Amino acid sequence: MPAEREIAARGIVEGTARGPALVAAEAISFLGDVDILSGTIVGDLPSVHGKSMRGTVLIFPYTRGSAGAWRFLHQLHKHGNAPVALVTASVPDPSVVQGAILSRIPVACAPAQDLAALASDGDMIELVVSGERATLRLARR
Amino acid sequence: MRLSDHEQAMLDGRHGAAKQRAMAGLVQLGRAFDAPRMVEIGYAHIHAGMALYLDDVELIEDLAQLGAKMAVPASVNVANTDMKNWRQIGAPEKLVRLQRRAESAHHKMGSNCAFTCTPYWAGHWPTWNTHMTSIESTVTIFCNSVLGARSNRDGFFAVYAAITGRYPMFGYHLDVNRRGTILVRTDARLDGTSDFSALGFHVGRMAGDGVPVFDGFANRPSLDELDALGAGLATSGGVSMFIVPGVTPPFAALADAFAGERPPDPLVVSRAEIDAVYDYFCPSPAAKFDIVHVGCPHASLEEMKHYARLLSGKRIADGTELWISTSRGVRRSAEEAGIVRELEAAGAKVISDTCPISCHLARTVSPDPALGVVPPPIKAVVIDSAKQAKYVRDMIQCATLLTGTEEAVETALTGRFVSRRAPARV
Repeated sequence: MPAEREIAARGIVEGTARGPALVAAEAISFLGDVDILSGTIVGDLPSVHGKSMRGTVLIFPYTRGSAGAWRFLHQLHKHGNAPVALVTASVPDPSVVQGAILSRIPVACAPAQDLAALASDGDMIELVVSGERATLRLARR
Repeated sequence: MRLSDHEQAMLDGRHGAAKQRAMAGLVQLGRAFDAPRMVEIGYAHIHAGMALYLDDVELIEDLAQLGAKMAVPASVNVANTDMKNWRQIGAPEKLVRLQRRAESAHHKMGSNCAFTCTPYWAGHWPTWNTHMTSIESTVTIFCNSVLGARSNRDGFFAVYAAITGRYPMFGYHLDVNRRGTILVRTDARLDGTSDFSALGFHVGRMAGDGVPVFDGFANRPSLDELDALGAGLATSGGVSMFIVPGVTPPFAALADAFAGERPPDPLVVSRAEIDAVYDYFCPSPAAKFDIVHVGCPHASLEEMKHYARLLSGKRIADGTELWISTSRGVRRSAEEAGIVRELEAAGAKVISDTCPISCHLARTVSPDPALGVVPPPIKAVVIDSAKQAKYVRDMIQCATLLTGTEEAVETALTGRFVSRRAPARV
């Protein structure tokens, strides 16, 4: 087994998930930036445009507001196209937190390492959130 | 997060599975936003369960199945079809049947099946300092800014709050967030709800998630105008609250709105900025249109009377549809007053429970494919609300023609678009 590194973060929504990283440099709105029926990112987000968020550990700086965001995250989940986990720099909007709880998608924020240096697209990440403690496990670089 | 004995008992499941699930969600939400404790709420405006989204009605049915009951007065938000007069908007029958399942579940739980974005016109009027929550941001901003209640822009968890009677204490439940962040001074002549919605839309773009304070209105805006202002602000920005000194409790004077601090330099809004919002939503004023819509947010009885005055004894042009959306509660009052008969005699369709962007005209929905929902082709919609305009553009994905209420009705009567910017008004 390859050596792992562990990065601490703040736990927002409890749970455990594992998947390949998808790292966006821009803020994401679940209303409008993603096609619910495919999981493809269709918004004006140059770093991830055209990529699918399905099954990924989605890493991005913060959520852009829409009070309806919970429903679109929940719809992504119901249509089988949701990310398996969210990791953000700042706490996501309350609506996104609610959508994640409803869809059992663990969420962590404020990891102890800069988002850009945290992972590259495709790196396998395991996220464990228990209470207010979150741990990201990645293969060592 | 500190919980009372009763809250802890709900979390531990000693008051049933529904309250346990609801409290567990609220506690996680509260932790995420550093809420020190819960507040007791007095009112909630909650999710309908929407038939145009896969398994979304089931979210509400699941709660009813678990035995959930509303612990506080709870009104239900807009749904995806008119559950009674659905044929007139061409809704698929399967969609209607699914939507009615949500209605049954709400009845079982003791919700008020208002199915509206303006529950205040249906009798829900939370008062000063009432903690509450709302899934509809227009309701949040009206209740914070006009009634002085305390609400965040919320999501699904508004129903959890209604079931437990609790909400985590953060955001607009705290005094520290209920103060002005920007000062808006306007000398523009504002007349009617469409102008106020345009003002809100313009200011919302600059206000972020702050609290704009309005100074300089020539008159106290009407309740309908205040509602339109809030809807505009909540649409283009993340605004949850505005302050009009002398209107918004408890801010009697401008100085109170900034908690005694010196107000920032004002953002000055003139008529040119209001006109620019109409222009923004009329990219091609000669566009062919299918539907003229008024009643966003859902019309009050005052607005229904206004439409009747404009339409009485007249008839809309052939090939034109005029949709008037309101709540079923206001519709009932308007029926009793003979207003609906007058509107329908003029050829208008009076629609409850839903509106153009919330029904099967929207292209951004994700229903169960088995429902067979196919959005009909729409060329353009004429509207009198900047909120509806924004979402017609984003969700129905067709052209918009934004104008005033009187001009929208005139458009329906003549079959030709009448601009708010017509030379006669400039």
